[in-house]
Amino acid sequence: VLLVRWSRYNPYYLEPEVRKEAYSRPESELSPEEKEERELKTLRPIKAAPNALTSSAFDDPVLSKFINMMMKDGNKVLAREIMMQTLENIKKKQVEKYHKAADGTKEEIECNPYAIFHQALENCKPVVGLASIQKGGKYYQVPIPLTDNRRRFFAMKWMITECRENKHRRTHMYEKLSQELLAAFEKEGNVIKKKHELHKMAEANRAYAHYRWW
Amino acid sequence: MAANCVRFAASLLGKGVNGASPTNPVTLQLYRQICGTSALRRKNLAAAGPEKFTPEFIQKQIEEFEIGKRHLANMMGEDPENFNQEDIDRSIAYLFPSGLFEKKARPLMKHPDEIFPKQRAVQWGPDGRPFHFLFYTGKQSYYSLMHELYGKVLNIEKHQDRLREKGLFSTETKQISLGTSRWLTKEELEELLVETISTHDYDRFIQLMEHMLSMAYSSLEEEFILRHRQQLEAQTMHQVVPPLQKDDKGVDFSTAEGKRKTSKSSVVVRDCGSGSITINGEDYLHYFPVLQDREQLMFPLQFTGLLGRFDLECTVSGGGRSSQAGALRLAISRALLSFVSEGEGEAMRQAGLLTLDPRVRERKKPGQEGARRKFTWKKR
Repeated sequence: VLLVRWSRYNPYYLEPEVRKEAYSRPESELSPEEKEERELKTLRPIKAAPNALTSSAFDDPVLSKFINMMMKDGNKVLAREIMMQTLENIKKKQVEKYHKAADGTKEEIECNPYAIFHQALENCKPVVGLASIQKGGKYYQVPIPLTDNRRRFFAMKWMITECRENKHRRTHMYEKLSQELLAAFEKEGNVIKKKHELHKMAEANRAYAHYRWW
Repeated sequence: MAANCVRFAASLLGKGVNGASPTNPVTLQLYRQICGTSALRRKNLAAAGPEKFTPEFIQKQIEEFEIGKRHLANMMGEDPENFNQEDIDRSIAYLFPSGLFEKKARPLMKHPDEIFPKQRAVQWGPDGRPFHFLFYTGKQSYYSLMHELYGKVLNIEKHQDRLREKGLFSTETKQISLGTSRWLTKEELEELLVETISTHDYDRFIQLMEHMLSMAYSSLEEEFILRHRQQLEAQTMHQVVPPLQKDDKGVDFSTAEGKRKTSKSSVVVRDCGSGSITINGEDYLHYFPVLQDREQLMFPLQFTGLLGRFDLECTVSGGGRSSQAGALRLAISRALLSFVSEGEGEAMRQAGLLTLDPRVRERKKPGQEGARRKFTWKKR
């Protein structure tokens, strides 16, 4: 049975470009590939922009992806609410820390919750992953390089599962998330530990790296 | 054809076709004659291929069509000389209204060239000898095209050699301006040649064309190359800009409609100067308590940078929260097209604001639980 993924759009349609800056660049700044792409865009039909995407400055693709991953049963309102509360919570904690800190260390405290979120995710991303490859009847865990999307997915997935399962039942999700994100920002916490364990496993199985054929 | 195998069916009701005599009506009327043919004489209708029409038949159809067109124009009270295809379609839809969903099943009156598929006339003379020298290849039009193409390639090479002998060969020659065009697709080529070709044949054809294009003096055969290229028109031509109207107070406004999933919306955008938005009589803050929907409303205005300038009066019905917001977004973008320059309109199209979202709910299929989800697989 051929499992084919199809979409309601004709494959002829191109993806939309929502950011305003992409349209204000003059002709001179573009490289030949970009010029070709621009020409192609004038000739081909474009898909409709998805509902969660806008051209506003507050729109963040990484944040949208994280909200979608947190969403359960299509309840985007709740997922977005939790995320906003998390960011607010992070900001509160950081501002508190800022005011309590001594004058010399005030500049080092990061107060922007978006910057903290991005940095925390960056710190959680694994560099190599493991794949189960069968050779001679046995299955070996072989270290393989990961694409950027895959790394981002792992970071987000670990963050969410860790917050859902390993924390105390009575705390709110936004509280759990903010604690975990701040810990990841400082390179501590369970998610960072999980990343290090994965790296150690990959290093231990380094001998099998030649089993990978791609 | 004469039935040499006639089957008799016994019928209890006694509906006799023949052999009923007044002496014993009951016994003879028991049998009903059913004509049948033996398996040997039955024609294999599938093996004959598509129906073949003679050129005389097509000619007769065309004459009948022309006469019918004039009759139709007379019936509708219009000028028989300038009666085009749109008028014909309109008249037929008026005279024979049909509620059928399948558009192809509705009454149709078109020129016979569009209805009957293009067929080749008989390829051989009365003595059985074919006209074309490549007839026995099976794909004569394709091979004659390739032969012609290769002849032109050799021609260009000969020209180049002659110039090289004289020492006038240069690579900076007039190149053919292809513009925004693409090669004909396989289907279009088949239509041109009136015969089927395989993908391999098509690839060879494109290869040879590309080879000819890459040569320096290909401008000699410009007309031949352009005949096999299809012009791609810019998508901006398809945009319909709603007209800009002026109301009593001298304020510019324009109306547009939009839809998404099952929601339909209609928006009146006024160039007042305030930034108020009214949806179905309510304020947008009350109608859309969720931030994401309000962001979608603002998206076209924020993209064009005209946030506080317009006054929106919207009506929306059907669908859910998200699809209503999407329908409104489309309607607002379409209405804004009349206030904004063409370049900005093109930018809006490339941002995906002006496309109707074709994604709708997929139906549930029988034998499955939902649209995609199957029932739990049980081994036994």
